[in-house]
Amino acid sequence: MAYEKVEVYSPRSLAEALELLSQKRELIKPVAGGTDIMVMLKDGVLKEKELLNLSFIPELSYIKESENRVLIGAATKYREIRRSPLINAYSPILIEAIRQIGSPQIQNLGTIGGNLGTASPAGDSIPPLYILNSRVKLQKLGSSREVQIDKFFLGPRKTVRESDELITEISIEKMDPGSYYFFEKLGLRSANAISIVSAAAILSLENNTVKYLRLSLGAVAPTVIRAVEAEELAKDKELNEELIDRIAKLAAESTKPITDIRGTAEYRKKATYGIIYEALYKIMKGYGKKVEYGFENTS
Amino acid sequence: MITEAVSKYSYINKSIPRIDSNDKVRGTLQFLTDIKLENALYAYTFRSKVAHGKINGIYTEDAEKVNGVKAVLTYKDIPALNGYGAIVPEIPVLAYDKVRYYGEPLALVAAETQEAAIEALGRIKADITPLPVVHSIDEALEENAPKIHDKGNIARHTIVRKGDVEKARSSAYIVLERVYETPMQKHMFLEPEGGVAYIDEEGVLNVLAGGQTPYRDKIQISRVLGIPPEKIRVKNTPTGGAFGGKDDITVQIHLALLAYKTKRPVKLVWSREESGVAGFHRTGSKIKLRTSANKDGALLSNEAIIYLDSGAYQSFGPTILDVSIETINGPYRIPNYIIDANLVYTNNGIASAFRGFGAPESNFAIESMMNELADELKIDPIEIRLKNILKSGEIGPFNNEIRHSKGLEEALNRAKELFYRLDPSGPFQRTGVGIAVSVKGVGFGTLPEFPAAAIEIIPEGKVRIMFSNVDYGQGINTGNAQLVAEKLQVPLSQIEVLHSDTKFAPDTGGSSASRSTFNGGGALLLACDKALSELKTEAASFFMTKSDSLSYKDGHFYYKDKSVSIYEVAKRLRVRGKSTRFEATFEVPRYSEAVEGTLEVPHMVYMYGVIITKVEVDELLGKVKPREVDFIADIGNVINPAIAAGQIEGGIIQGLGYSLIEELNYDKDGRPLNINYTTYPVPIIADSPLINVEFIRSYEELGPFGAKGVGEVSIIPVGASVADAVADAIGKRNYKLPLLPWKIV
Ligand SMILES: Cc1cc2nc3c(=O)[nH]c(=O)nc-3n(C[C@H](O)[C@H](O)[C@H](O)COP(=O)(O)OP(=O)(O)OC[C@H]3O[C@@H](n4cnc5c(N)ncnc54)[C@H](O)[C@@H]3O)c2cc1C
Repeated sequence: MAYEKVEVYSPRSLAEALELLSQKRELIKPVAGGTDIMVMLKDGVLKEKELLNLSFIPELSYIKESENRVLIGAATKYREIRRSPLINAYSPILIEAIRQIGSPQIQNLGTIGGNLGTASPAGDSIPPLYILNSRVKLQKLGSSREVQIDKFFLGPRKTVRESDELITEISIEKMDPGSYYFFEKLGLRSANAISIVSAAAILSLENNTVKYLRLSLGAVAPTVIRAVEAEELAKDKELNEELIDRIAKLAAESTKPITDIRGTAEYRKKATYGIIYEALYKIMKGYGKKVEYGFENTS
Repeated sequence: MITEAVSKYSYINKSIPRIDSNDKVRGTLQFLTDIKLENALYAYTFRSKVAHGKINGIYTEDAEKVNGVKAVLTYKDIPALNGYGAIVPEIPVLAYDKVRYYGEPLALVAAETQEAAIEALGRIKADITPLPVVHSIDEALEENAPKIHDKGNIARHTIVRKGDVEKARSSAYIVLERVYETPMQKHMFLEPEGGVAYIDEEGVLNVLAGGQTPYRDKIQISRVLGIPPEKIRVKNTPTGGAFGGKDDITVQIHLALLAYKTKRPVKLVWSREESGVAGFHRTGSKIKLRTSANKDGALLSNEAIIYLDSGAYQSFGPTILDVSIETINGPYRIPNYIIDANLVYTNNGIASAFRGFGAPESNFAIESMMNELADELKIDPIEIRLKNILKSGEIGPFNNEIRHSKGLEEALNRAKELFYRLDPSGPFQRTGVGIAVSVKGVGFGTLPEFPAAAIEIIPEGKVRIMFSNVDYGQGINTGNAQLVAEKLQVPLSQIEVLHSDTKFAPDTGGSSASRSTFNGGGALLLACDKALSELKTEAASFFMTKSDSLSYKDGHFYYKDKSVSIYEVAKRLRVRGKSTRFEATFEVPRYSEAVEGTLEVPHMVYMYGVIITKVEVDELLGKVKPREVDFIADIGNVINPAIAAGQIEGGIIQGLGYSLIEELNYDKDGRPLNINYTTYPVPIIADSPLINVEFIRSYEELGPFGAKGVGEVSIIPVGASVADAVADAIGKRNYKLPLLPWKIV
């Protein structure tokens, strides 16, 4: 089938973009990398007849430091984030997730703002953003607001964004030096695979005792979720196989998965357990990845 | 590892790069769906949104009114036969009384612009009363199942038997009975079905579309339009992947019909989703197998009930069923057997040819059975096979004398050195090793085949070779060029290939059944013989001597200290108004009669292979990772080792998809759920294990320079070897493919 005809506006500044958006609101759809939008266009499911192209707005593409946070422009491409010395040093869990998004082609085009805009529970940048206590900046003509990441999503493909707002920035926390982390994704193949289950965690250990655990899960509920009970349980406990088993069980219990062609609900629970158990076990055995604040290993 | 054996040949046994690779790598090759014809109409297909239903009416008036629309065709517009199908022409070109699968074509639109065509599509109305949908083999067989065709839901039923199974079974030491199931698999070729059609100045209807068998396409088109085949030209090359899915008609008749009716060039290309909905797929299967053996592993009897899901119509179904019958006994000495084989209608799209053609389905059953028998009898799985394989000269289960099975024995002996588990890569990983044997006939068994091919010696210094087999990426144009270069002893650069076009090439048949090298190559070598003999006579007259006093070497005839090249001789022929084109027909050796109850069993020439698959299973996640695969092949003399190894590697990866992740599913309304690359993931190169391909030294006297075939041999045993390896890793056998993670844990 042929692509639907759409009108594309390509403003050169944020002000211009916000101006356009304030006039057209739900009649126009923002597009950044287009890796989700193009699929919608092809499937004929895009309601809007006009696109607001964010690719030529330099103010939306940057990575910078601000005290204990790193700020990422919403239209920053995955490729740029992967290469960023700042993020590699301070918040490498995001790199770990982005490395597993799509393929090099998708990472060359796709943006982090687009992943938030799509608001899929299987969006792979989102679980790390949850445990990096991220804030999403929404801007409209004349004003802006910041929303905590867990308040941003309302359900699959639903967010609090108003039609005259753009996502302009994602602010993430710097991880504590010495903390362990993982992002694990289970898909049916090695690349360009939609997550069946994903999990992200930051674990701070002192003498093998858990100072804190932050754990989030993807593709197992209407939005990405934090496994709060598991996090609380872990606090101040010794990291051993019994604790890992209990954490993984609690996390699996906190899910509300569905059955679809990519897996049964029952399996998604089992896999949540498995993915967390294996990743924490690796950390316990000393093979986990650790935040170093080093600037040499950009990937 | 590919070993280029020390070879006495100049142009074969050599890994010459594919002659079309340059254009493909640069992206400059024009596929048929890339063609833009001036003044062409855009064509689209109006499809049923009901999987099973009675058609009350199809209303096109509103669509015809759209500005720019040049034709809206329904079954009423079909000049002659409203049917096609490679074996039985029962598939409606456009549905008329009933629809039998979701996406079945009801009408065609051609318009000046894409917009007009799409607008018109939206205005066609179909009034269809839905009927209950038949989702599976089991449902189709129920007593009160809705009838998909008037004759019921069994398209073909046959029983093939030998000996006394009851008696053999009752004296056996062990009897195992199992049910094996395999999924419908999509071909997922990169280029979807499509092409162009136009009527040329001479009034010939040209159909240029991805396909595999141009001359059969031509006949099928001619039957529908009611015009003689001579007024039709079909060109199928270059085709961007086929795997059997383009062997029967896809767009060809629709294109022809539209060009014929509108008298305008027409372009019709299916979207990926249309290919997903209405393109062919592999038959799903359910096979009940009961096999008995002695304590030492010697097989005594084999009882099979085979059900293949043909979908809504028969395309190649009847002959696919034959191959599944032939495969269910493996390459084994089985004195007593009974095979009850059934081709079943459901509302699941249309099943057709797919690499292996019924063999992967049966192979999964018999090879899984062999592995389990070995387990139960505590015999090594290689030894139990060595004990049972038929040796050269023995009479096989279908009364055929086995030729050249030495390769299989050698391959099994080599397999002993490769059959081991890998070390696990982590604490939750369990490793396992599995094995299976592949056997597949080359060509169409007892069905008569007379492939013709031609060569033309062009005085300017080229040899043009012409055959109708299609190069859809498997490399047949390179392989056949190498055969001719070898035969004539001229450099490959002097060979020009013209193929798969009924305008230039004689009818060599198509590319299917691993037959193109054997049949196309065979016919080409005969054409070379003919050329050499006639050129020699001419050369003799040039030297004023008898032709038997000439010798031939490197493209030249020699007489005493003088020589003349084939091109100079051709020039003499041309000057005298004689043709320098030489055509020959190859009568493919076969058994004259099919075994009772079959259409084409047995084959005379078989390819063999042994596969060893080494996997790792994550015990918590159930994910199976194939880490290493060894394949030892007996495909006869290897014309081009790199291309042959590529075929084997490709078959393995496609087979791993089939074994682990691929599965075409339909919802309760009979709508396919997996229709594009998002919903039907196939393995990508990053999923590929390390693959080691080895060739047994082998020479098939009947084949061109000793070659057999290669296209299908490797995909066939992958399923059984993967299931065996997974069982080895987790201690539990699985009987149903694909082994998705949630079936493991
Ligand atoms: C082959 C393939 C593989 C993929 N693999 C993965 C994967 O592994 N993991 C994964 O998570 N995703 C994957 N995706 C999905 C997609 O690539 C990601 O969601 C990506 O982040 C989208 O970014 P984009 O810039 O391309 O978004 P676009 O397509 O441009 O937009 C996506 C949505 O976000 C909105 N939007 C974009 N920017 C803004 C903004 N600044 N303000 C407000 N709204 C905005 C758009 O209106 C739209 O609704 C894959 C896609 C493809 C085609």
